[in-house]
Amino acid sequence: MLQILIQGLLLSGLYALIAMGFTLIFSIGRVLNLAYGAYLMVGGYMYFWVSQTLGMPKLLGVAVAAVLGVLMGFLKYRLIVKTLKGDHVAVEISTLILAVVIQAGIVLVFGDSSKILLPIVPGVINVAGASVTYNILIATLISWAILLGLFAFVRLTHTGRAMQAVSMDAKGAAISGIDPDRINLITWGISGALGAIGGVFFASYTQLSPSMWVAPLIISVAVVIVGGIGSILGTLVVAHIIGFLEVIVVATLAPELRGVFTMLLIIGVLVTRPQGLFGREEL
Amino acid sequence: MSYLEIENLSAFYGKAQALTDISITVQPGEIVAVVGPNGAGKSTLLDSIMGLVKIDGDIRLRGHSLVGRTPSEIVRHGVGYAPERFNLFPYMSVRDNLMVGAFTARDDIQSNLSMVHSLFPRLEEREGQETSTQSGGERQMVSFGRALMTSPELLLVDEPTIGLAPKICHEIAEVLRKLNKEYGLTVVITEQNANFALSLASRIYVLESGRMQTSGTADELRNDKRLLEAYFGGH
Repeated sequence: MLQILIQGLLLSGLYALIAMGFTLIFSIGRVLNLAYGAYLMVGGYMYFWVSQTLGMPKLLGVAVAAVLGVLMGFLKYRLIVKTLKGDHVAVEISTLILAVVIQAGIVLVFGDSSKILLPIVPGVINVAGASVTYNILIATLISWAILLGLFAFVRLTHTGRAMQAVSMDAKGAAISGIDPDRINLITWGISGALGAIGGVFFASYTQLSPSMWVAPLIISVAVVIVGGIGSILGTLVVAHIIGFLEVIVVATLAPELRGVFTMLLIIGVLVTRPQGLFGREEL
Repeated sequence: MSYLEIENLSAFYGKAQALTDISITVQPGEIVAVVGPNGAGKSTLLDSIMGLVKIDGDIRLRGHSLVGRTPSEIVRHGVGYAPERFNLFPYMSVRDNLMVGAFTARDDIQSNLSMVHSLFPRLEEREGQETSTQSGGERQMVSFGRALMTSPELLLVDEPTIGLAPKICHEIAEVLRKLNKEYGLTVVITEQNANFALSLASRIYVLESGRMQTSGTADELRNDKRLLEAYFGGH
């Protein structure tokens, strides 16, 4: 029981970080960035290359991954999203294709066999009778710190408030002197960084493989659909619903069913409550 | 040179033409009203000044053309806008709504905020309330307040009295007079309510079906009953 609680909290913290970058984009542009999983993949591989292949400091690996994530976000917004303007279906199709292209690029550079990412912080700690790796514990703590920082940024800074404003009423934001284009660009950059950092932790929790972009994408889509909209608190809550669901299913039914219930939950919410559990347009 | 000059303005939503060949001038310190029935193009006119719609023709503020500028640049040029539907941020507090208005005028936050609070004491009392839970009159106040937080010289107000109780209309009129007289703002409002416009504005333009029908001082139009009856059915 306690084991499930601790595992659930740890996994959910990681899922919240993974989903946050995705929900941020949904919140501000009402568009699903289906290439989001590719940020995680590129982030994970970049960290692998810098810190394991080149043997550079791990922190540098995370930093390089984050910077690359920001660049990918900027490019994706400038080249695809802005060009396609309000055509959400076109953006979603293009981003999905982009994810497959990036996957091919990863196979070309790193090969298609999966790779083990060494724990960012090795070791195991005993928490209330449950053994927990430092790696996932640190990942969860950092997730919380990043989400807390993001929450403060969005609530307390002019730029953060502008992001909320654009997500709630684009015309209202424009007549307040906010340039929605610039706010979108910033948001895509932040989303890329969150994805890439999330990818480093996700890969260290599972493994690196060219198909690793799919699972986090499903988690992220689930958070948006179940939550109804991309608020930070909503993301946190729904990440915990999904994280605990997985941990309970794995512990009580079968590990093979891990992601299945998440997908069933997506369908269930779509059918019974299409506006999601929260359904408020806020950030 | 007039303060605001609109010259042969035509505006489009996609391919639909909403305004045809509109010309308006506004002198500094004036209150000008654009009146006309529903669907006359009044909101489109203000949206055009704010750079929110595609236009032909020219709009100049203090001699500088606003054509091709983004709404954010136009706000920086000193134009504040309180739109008909308010376009507030529903899940933000009153205070945060006002703070968003301060996005381009961060040095003036304190002075603008105290001006807004002195005009609308209610906004200070309710500063923590989400605007989604407020009445129409309160939202109108937040909308005015947010526009004032941008430090405007020219205030555009779209149908300030629509759906509001007569008592609140009266308060809104008082606020607009005060902004004009005490704070020196130039004001352009649109109205369906001709009496409200006549009581407030020094000059009036009459718009119908996207075209300018007539214009004149409030006194000229007040005495021209036939003209008003034609547009407002004698209200």
